[in-house]
Amino acid sequence: MGRGRFTSKRANFQTDLMSIGSFIVKNALRNKRRATLSILSVAVSLFLLVTLLVALRELTVPPEGEGAALRVVVRSRISIANALPARQRPIIERIPGVEAISPFTWFGGKFKSEEAMSFAQFAVDPVEFPRIFVESKVPVEQIKAFQADRQACIIGKITADKYKIKAGDRIMLSSTIYPTDLEFKVAGIYSGSIDDRNMFFHQKYLDESIGDPGEVGTWWIKVRSAEDMPRVVAAINRAFENTSAEVRAESERAFQLSFISMMGSIKLVVGLISTAVVFALMLVSASTMSMAIRERFRELAILKALGFRRRELFAFILAESFGLAMLGALAGVGGAYSLFTFGDIAKMTNGIFITFEVTHKIVGIGLLVAAGLGIIASIGPSISVARMSVVNGLKTLD
Amino acid sequence: MPTNPFMFMVLLVKIAFGGLIGWLVYSAFTSPMPLPYYFKNIFVRWRATLATMLGVALVVAVYVMLQAMAAGLEKASANTGDPRNLMIVRKGSTAESSSQVTREQFRLIPYLPGIAHDVKGRPLVSADVVVLISLPRKDGSGEANVMLRGISPSGMELRPQVALVEGRWFTPGKREVVVSGRMAKRFANFEIGGKFKTGGKELTVVGVTDGGNSAFDSEIWMDGDESRALFDRENYSSVLLRMENAAAGRTITERVEADKRLPLRALPEMEYYSSQTMTAVPIRFLGNLLATAMSIGAVFAAMNTMYASVGARTREIGTLRALGYRRRSILAGFLLEGAFLSLAGGVLGCVISLILYAVFYHHPLGTMSFQTFSEIVFQFRITPQLALKGLGFSEVVGVVGSLFPAIRASRLPVIAALKSV
Repeated sequence: MGRGRFTSKRANFQTDLMSIGSFIVKNALRNKRRATLSILSVAVSLFLLVTLLVALRELTVPPEGEGAALRVVVRSRISIANALPARQRPIIERIPGVEAISPFTWFGGKFKSEEAMSFAQFAVDPVEFPRIFVESKVPVEQIKAFQADRQACIIGKITADKYKIKAGDRIMLSSTIYPTDLEFKVAGIYSGSIDDRNMFFHQKYLDESIGDPGEVGTWWIKVRSAEDMPRVVAAINRAFENTSAEVRAESERAFQLSFISMMGSIKLVVGLISTAVVFALMLVSASTMSMAIRERFRELAILKALGFRRRELFAFILAESFGLAMLGALAGVGGAYSLFTFGDIAKMTNGIFITFEVTHKIVGIGLLVAAGLGIIASIGPSISVARMSVVNGLKTLD
Repeated sequence: MPTNPFMFMVLLVKIAFGGLIGWLVYSAFTSPMPLPYYFKNIFVRWRATLATMLGVALVVAVYVMLQAMAAGLEKASANTGDPRNLMIVRKGSTAESSSQVTREQFRLIPYLPGIAHDVKGRPLVSADVVVLISLPRKDGSGEANVMLRGISPSGMELRPQVALVEGRWFTPGKREVVVSGRMAKRFANFEIGGKFKTGGKELTVVGVTDGGNSAFDSEIWMDGDESRALFDRENYSSVLLRMENAAAGRTITERVEADKRLPLRALPEMEYYSSQTMTAVPIRFLGNLLATAMSIGAVFAAMNTMYASVGARTREIGTLRALGYRRRSILAGFLLEGAFLSLAGGVLGCVISLILYAVFYHHPLGTMSFQTFSEIVFQFRITPQLALKGLGFSEVVGVVGSLFPAIRASRLPVIAALKSV
């Protein structure tokens, strides 16, 4: 087993730091299978932890588009599902600081062949729309085509790719909200926004098909500058107070956050699971580490007999445990990072998640958990090594 | 036969695993094995064993809890309705909240043949108005959509699942509501006498209901006509009616389908509610994904423990072989040890989930339904089948994790094993 090697190197051991390093590395890799299995179990758990943390972040912190800081969303005070009267538009337009306004009406359409809706469609004002959603990039001629034809629509790139739709195609959607089926001409494909999954079409086309009830879902507004935002929000809320259609105006950010509050207990449950994963990870790695040390009780007793101090022995154990945990972290966190950063997340999750950003903070948490793990796992074995008497240690047969 | 190649692979793996277990049981009975030896060994290295066991327990607990959550979500909706009832909604609408029945259409419905009548001879028909209202949560964590249902006077008789447990029913023509006891725990001002504002008007809570774990536990109710006035609704959302018998139900469904004046669809009430379970799909998916990934990690851990165990017992294994125990007894013995270890972990995992279940029993969970966009309250739901599946998971971890170490143990050369220290 090569035990003699360590004693023969004893002479330059204390003077040569490099050989201490190689001693630790050799010890860690002596049982290659165990080292690999330990690293792998740490890696799998950290991969899971990072995935859960990113999912939790995606669920609780909505991605923010470039233009979001200048956008206001107006919805019915009763709830988002309640319609707003179209007559509100001129009143809002007159408020100073409002640059553009468009209706934004949920159509809830699905393809005939599909069970459920798989992407969102909104009825908008085609002229104002590009002024409000500045980050959606559409070729100029496509935007012109969209504005010119009442039946035209533009579709996000992710959805267009998924259904292999291209400009010039015709698509048929039946609404689950309104009693109507509509045929649309695809005028263009947009991309570059935070959510390239949606479809936009003319509010007028919807109105025509359902007998113009004079209603819209919500209003989306662009304000002139960030300083105008609070004043515009307050003015809109005030304008419809005590009318039959009271509204709630808020920044796009606040609007998105209110959706997240509706997710309710999901956040709690995902949090609980992450804790369970971390805890399971601690247990397993700590046990592996102490197994590795117990196997070497006799060697450590020899080192003790040769005059190594307790803290030196502790340093050996700590370095080995820490090193294995960090290697696992590199594989797990690194694997998650490269998969979610360079992989196509929309394709992998079938469009449930569009961004799945592994932030620096999450990478940091993953590495920190691994570091803590390495330290905690070394404590138990170190205590038993410190307590063991040399004579008993030398007697150990294991 | 599964057609999907992936499902076929899964089937093959299941068959192989079943064969392995069968062989284990067979050898346990046919070839002599020092069973007490293996059993006692579990407690010799108790620290490592305990850690592996707890690891397996957590995998099982996560699996069981997530599946219990999905099952609870499904049950919260699927458990709803009366088999004698038919529901009428607009063709093409997937949820009651997006359906519309105009007053002209509704006027024709009570004259359909085969509708049951109450003791006073009135047809048992309720025209409901469903409105989502945004209300603040009790814990101050923001607002959520609550489903408010305005019902006709026969609406209560049509829904025997809902019982009044506190206070009184609302008075028709007044701005009064009854709330479900579970919603009362999650939303502000939902106690008797509590008032909240919506649509510019104030509503008063006068009663608390219990929907018997149905979707009605996620609703608040008030008088139908009053709610139409309050929310400025000209039309109804849906119509619920009691049929005289199943045959009459079929006639009504066909009549509604055939009537050109009615762009509506009649379907059994229970069928409508059991179609509202899509919200559980992603949770089920997440549960399976996490359990698979975590059990891969647990297999690595179990392997480590068993390899160490085999390594430490090399001499003992040599002794057993020298005593005449055969290779396959050694193999089966170690597999049994692994299986027992993880079974104990699995049982512990089920116990952990039962404890969590008890903790959350009086605190209903809630989330937004993907179909109605309103809050649905639900509870974890642990069934014996679910617990068994969790145990099955733990067995896979135990047997797969100890397979390679067991093979190694059975292949040890006797003389070398005896010599090792």
